[in-house]
This record gives sequence, C-alpha cells and structure tokens, in this order.
Amino acid sequence: MILTSSNTLENKKIIDYKGLVTGESLIGANIYKDLFSGVRDVVGGRTSKYEEEIQKARDISLQSMIEKAEQLDANAIIGLKISYDNLGGTMGNTILVTAYGTAIKYE
Amino acid sequence: MVQQLNMNNMEFKNKKINKKQIAQAILCIAVGTAAGLIVYGIFLFFHIDIFGWNLGLIFAPLAAGYVETILANKIIGENIGAISAFILFIDTTFYSFILKNPTLGWNIITAGSIIVILQAAFPTVINYILLVVIGGFLSNFFKTIKKYEMKIHHKIRNQQFFRWKTEDPKPENDDIKTESLPVYDELETNRLLNNSPFYFITSPDMKDKQYTIIKLFHSEVIVEKNKKIIQAEPEKAEYLQLIRIKDGKDECLFKLLNKIKNEGGNGILDLSINYSLIGFSGDNIQITAMGIGVLIED
Repeated sequence: MILTSSNTLENKKIIDYKGLVTGESLIGANIYKDLFSGVRDVVGGRTSKYEEEIQKARDISLQSMIEKAEQLDANAIIGLKISYDNLGGTMGNTILVTAYGTAIKYE
Repeated sequence: MVQQLNMNNMEFKNKKINKKQIAQAILCIAVGTAAGLIVYGIFLFFHIDIFGWNLGLIFAPLAAGYVETILANKIIGENIGAISAFILFIDTTFYSFILKNPTLGWNIITAGSIIVILQAAFPTVINYILLVVIGGFLSNFFKTIKKYEMKIHHKIRNQQFFRWKTEDPKPENDDIKTESLPVYDELETNRLLNNSPFYFITSPDMKDKQYTIIKLFHSEVIVEKNKKIIQAEPEKAEYLQLIRIKDGKDECLFKLLNKIKNEGGNGILDLSINYSLIGFSGDNIQITAMGIGVLIED
C-alpha cells in the first residue's frame, strides 16, 4: 500500500478512485499518565512516554485507514493528511490523531 | 454568709442590667419600626410603585432594620438582629395584601412581589433557596432533558446511517469490558460511505477526469465532550469519546454528501476535515468538513 500526501502518483496511472478512507485515535485521557508526563516536563527531560503514545496513536490511525483502503480493493492512498488536535483533557493532554486520504487503484 | 449576700447582690444587679438592656432593645426596635413606617408612608403618599406594586414594601423594612441597627450599636453597643425589619415586613404585607387589597389575585406579579418581600426580610434563606435549591433543580431538570434528547437523537441517527448488527465486533482495545459499550464498526461505515456513486477526493484535482465546479460546500457537527476531569475508567471514557468523534465525523460527511447531491453534484474535491474545541470552556468538539462540490463526468 503506497501512502502519499501528494495529489498524484508519479509515473503511475490512476485507474479508479475508490473513495475516502479515514482513521482516528485518541490518547491522554489517563490522569496518571498525564501527571507523570507533567513531572518529566518540570525536570527538563523529554516526555518520551508521550512521544511513544503519539507515535502509537498515529500508527493506529494509519493502520485503520489502510484496512479500509484494502477493503475497498485499493492499492494506494493519495492526498494523505494527518492532524493532531488537542482536545483539552486532564492537563490539556488529550490528543486526537486523525488521518485521511483518497483510496485509489493504480496500474 | 457574706459570700451568699454578695452573690445575691450580683444576681440582682445582672437582672437590673438585663431589664435595662431589654428596655433599650425595645426602644431601638420601636424607633426602627417607626422609621420604617414613615418610609412606607412616604412611598404610599407619593405612589412610588412599579405596575401597582409599591417599592415601600422593600425599602420600609430595609430602613427599619438600618435605623434599628445603628441605634442599637450606639445605645447597647451590639447588634440586636433587625427585628423591626421583620415587624415591618409583617405590617406592610398585611396592610397591602390583605387589608388594602383583599381581592388580590394569584398571578406572576403577586408571586414576584412575595419573593422580593421575603428576600428583603430573610435575605440569606431566600437567596439560598433561589440560587442553590431552585438553581440546582433547574440545572438537573435541563440536564435530564438533554440526556434523553441525546439518546433519541443517537437512535434516530443510527437508524438513518448505520444499519448493521452490533453484537459481534470487538473494540480495538481488548482490555475494555465490552458489555454495555456501544460498538462502532469502522469497516462497515466506510463501506457505506463509499458505496454511493459519489467521489470523496482529498486532492484538489482529479487526473484524467473532466468535471464542472459547483461551489464550496461545508458541513458541521458538534459532538459533546466528556466533561469529567478525573475518570473512574479512563480507557472506557477514551473509547466512548473516540466513538462519539467517529460517529460525528460520519454524520458530517453524510451531511456534506447530501448537500452536494441536492445541488446536482456527484463529488467533492480538496476535502478537508477539521476538529476543534468550542464552547465556554471548550466543552464541545466541532467537526467541520469542507471542499469544492463538483459534477464529474464518467
């Protein structure tokens, strides 16, 4: 499965537009995790736990999107967009990770 | 014997002081009541009223209490509790509501007047009832209505868009107990979304396709956010929140699709979906979908 944020696939012919595929995931509703992350911020360390969580959330979103594209018999996703939105939460750490794009079939 | 005599003497003195204090207190109350009655008389004489309701009913007890308190502080050296205000309240209420107007009907003005008079006489109690008891009741009442409205809304929406069985599929996180949790079948929703002869395109252009631009279209859906700061079951809350967001996004896309179809289009280019917090303290999530509606020639 090819994932690209560009509008076309270079040197490839798009034969069918299969439709929209999306993926969403949410992290950070856990107060204990939030508090721990806050402590790490104060002492100056990198909040590696949070970085891991964000990466995990992005992977879940992308995977969810790919599954949907496969179900539509697509072999690429173009015009891919990924966004991270802060939804407040305990300490402003609830983050929504969304990914969406157009599933296509190319030759 | 001498001690006994001294004790008796002291008791007698205390009784004397008490009697004197009571007399002073009665004097203060009497002067306060007189001041209140004068104020009420002035208000009645000059017809200082709103919609036939004399403002003296508020100001007379206030004046009585004020005069009595100042006098008591000067003569006795302490506050005796604005008893004259209470006397004035009974006086004025009896005079205006029973004696002067025995046929007074029960309407919103009467009810409002009684509340205002009671508020002037017993401010703490009435404020507590108005703000805490009635405020709390109204707040809970509207919350209950909103809860049922949301339930009906979800039922109708699910019937409209998602007609699949929801017993078997499991949520992504296996740690969450799935009993009584709603299940969202992503693949089925996506299949339904792309099943109709409509193109959802996130790119601003379609290669090798001819199309006519209609106009810019957008749709919005507002999803309620979980307001609890500390969650008893954070995973469950997170799961439910995500389902609400996904559900809202689907509704938003279907709304957009219907809008474009109604204008004769069969596709959307440069589609973007945005999520943002709205409301007084960011207590709702607004989902917006927008793009260029087009008519694509197959």
